[in-house]
Amino acid sequence: MSLVVGVDIGNSTTEACAAEIGEDGRVTYLSAALGRTSGVKGTTANVPGVVEVVRGALAAAGRDPADVQAVLVNEATPVISGLAMETITETIITESTMIGHNPDTPGGVGLGVGTTVAFAELPGCAPGDAVICVAGAGVDFEDVAAGINAATARGVRVTGAVVPADDATLIANRLREPVPVVDEVTLVDRVPLGMPAAVEVAEQGRTIRTLSNSYGIATVFGLDPEQTRLIAPVARALVGNRSAVVVRTPAGDITDRRIPAGGLTLIGERAKRSVGMDAGAEEIMETLRRVQPLVDADGEPGTHVGGMLARVRDTMADLTAMPRDAVRIQDVLAVDTFVPQRVTGGLAGEFALENAVALAAMVRTSKGPMELLAARLREALGTEVLIGGVEADMALLGALTTPGTAKPVAILDLGGGSTDAAVAMEGAEVCSVHLAGAGDLVTSLIDSELGLESMELAEEIKKFPLAKAESFFHVRMEDGTVRFFDEPLPAEAFARVVVLTDAGMRPIRTRHGVEKIRQVRRSAKQRVFVTNALRALEQVAPGGDIRRIGFLVVLGGAALDFEIPDMIAEAVSGFGIVSGTGNVRGCEGPRNAVATGLVARHASASATRTAVRCG
Amino acid sequence: MDREPHSGRAFVRAFAPAGPNRPAVVVLCRTGNRRCLRELGAGMEEEGVPFRTGDGTGGSAVELAFAAAQASDLDVGVGMDAAGNVCVHHAKLPPDMPALTGRAADARTMGHNAARLVVGIPFKDAPVRTGQ
Repeated sequence: MSLVVGVDIGNSTTEACAAEIGEDGRVTYLSAALGRTSGVKGTTANVPGVVEVVRGALAAAGRDPADVQAVLVNEATPVISGLAMETITETIITESTMIGHNPDTPGGVGLGVGTTVAFAELPGCAPGDAVICVAGAGVDFEDVAAGINAATARGVRVTGAVVPADDATLIANRLREPVPVVDEVTLVDRVPLGMPAAVEVAEQGRTIRTLSNSYGIATVFGLDPEQTRLIAPVARALVGNRSAVVVRTPAGDITDRRIPAGGLTLIGERAKRSVGMDAGAEEIMETLRRVQPLVDADGEPGTHVGGMLARVRDTMADLTAMPRDAVRIQDVLAVDTFVPQRVTGGLAGEFALENAVALAAMVRTSKGPMELLAARLREALGTEVLIGGVEADMALLGALTTPGTAKPVAILDLGGGSTDAAVAMEGAEVCSVHLAGAGDLVTSLIDSELGLESMELAEEIKKFPLAKAESFFHVRMEDGTVRFFDEPLPAEAFARVVVLTDAGMRPIRTRHGVEKIRQVRRSAKQRVFVTNALRALEQVAPGGDIRRIGFLVVLGGAALDFEIPDMIAEAVSGFGIVSGTGNVRGCEGPRNAVATGLVARHASASATRTAVRCG
Repeated sequence: MDREPHSGRAFVRAFAPAGPNRPAVVVLCRTGNRRCLRELGAGMEEEGVPFRTGDGTGGSAVELAFAAAQASDLDVGVGMDAAGNVCVHHAKLPPDMPALTGRAADARTMGHNAARLVVGIPFKDAPVRTGQ
């Protein structure tokens, strides 16, 4: 009998599996443990993490570390992945021409057209003038209403108002002739005065009709076709708002232009092609397919993508002491996305959804300092440390301990930085592939598309279901069911969308509804994991035919996700293969495959040795 | 609320302080605290929620607010004490765990938030939660 511990050093987690191996090679699995990988996978920085999980597994098995005969470590090679986002459109208002935001409570209803006049100048307006009153900061709502009423009484046609504070309803309620009032305009001082303008407020539950329509704006300001063409982006930017202001300044212009985002050069074994980032993800991935297999990639210096690729290269060069130009980018994944960006020149903090392309890249080397790592582990653990087999082989071996699986089998390991796949056909070499783009890219898409500016929150949205706090005592889950609480919910969660994390409820401080956040989350997972699952399986499947894979076992952290395994199962359902989340050794779920595989391999190898010795 | 969006007069009348039989947020405070009361009312009016005021001299802001919430058909009450504390309470919350507390200087925001508690939309600004 000998006690061994298999250890899998992964990109983000280190897993161990303690087992006893009998004389005949029979394996008795004792326990498993899991911890965070310390440092970059495959470097000596991993030692503390490995020591911790080995001790954890032995403690769980109730065994003395001194009895361990060997610690088996996988051939861990460093993987560095990088992410960058390139925004390819932008909206600029060259002169302040519009206010398009959604204050909670605009006042009045309808459309008002007139010349912008400062509130203080109202008494100077002549009867018959059509004016839009612009109140500065600090003016009380009663004074504004009184001022407008006085002007109206003199025959001045005040057709609308723009105010900085949240008091549009208060003002509209006090007007003898109610007019549309748009409030919460933060930069009210920058509204140009003496210019023709239009203010529109829609009824509750409706959106504006005139200012979100190019011809509506053309009608209001009497524009010619050329001017209408220039103002069309304004109308587009205002679609879906309940209130809006358009001020027509002589040089007033709003442009949406494409930003030159630089190019990406993809170097394949036989061909080399360049593609502009602004061509979009589909075009980039099509170019990648044409040059495959990819040997290296380069981005234009000075762009985000160029910088990211250089950073990935530098990090890997530092880690492995390889010359910088010997580091090759092995795979890239481009994904179309959009980023809410502050409109340059907006007056109320307007955001426009700009198109962007996110790019994930990865490098992997076969040259990790494994011997050095093994030596350090030997010192730290005081036992024999053996470096065993290729990671993909071990993972397949471990995956095959899932009840109900058999060769030909494929595994899909959905990690943080990369998506790995391997396939083992009967009597053939194991074929494996490592692709860029996995959990981290999903997190970053969620973060940018919802404008969260918090990776931590995006990570939680990715991992946990949503709910809406409907009262102090209950939330409605995203599937419509209701959950009650004994203790009152915190005030900051009231009426907000919350993520139900393990550590409790976390409010999301945005205006997005449950449905919107859910849709962004699911679409990010779809765009990354489903795309990559199919891409990876096509590359490892014999002849590129996924149908020839009999069993597909999904492994890795993402396999524990509450919806990703279902998405993958749905995506491959058309190929007529058995697909599901792994259950290593019938009890570990999608975890511990490589560690288990290491033990299994060691056991069969020592059994063979014993058999040879006997014979 | 039976207001007609296009008719100005009806609009104003709908927001006059609600009578005793209308569902409304109840505000209990010392009479004479006119400035604070005006700001509170403005906050609620802006959100489109009716309210009525009553005389409440004894007790802390939290006690007044809880009593007000019990008296309100909308289950939401606001209390203001002599020391300038303002509290928003909900009838279904434990008496010592008010929804929000603040100072008279924040009366407008407190008014907004009392109304938002009725309407069911997130509170304005970063409210300070007490009681736990």
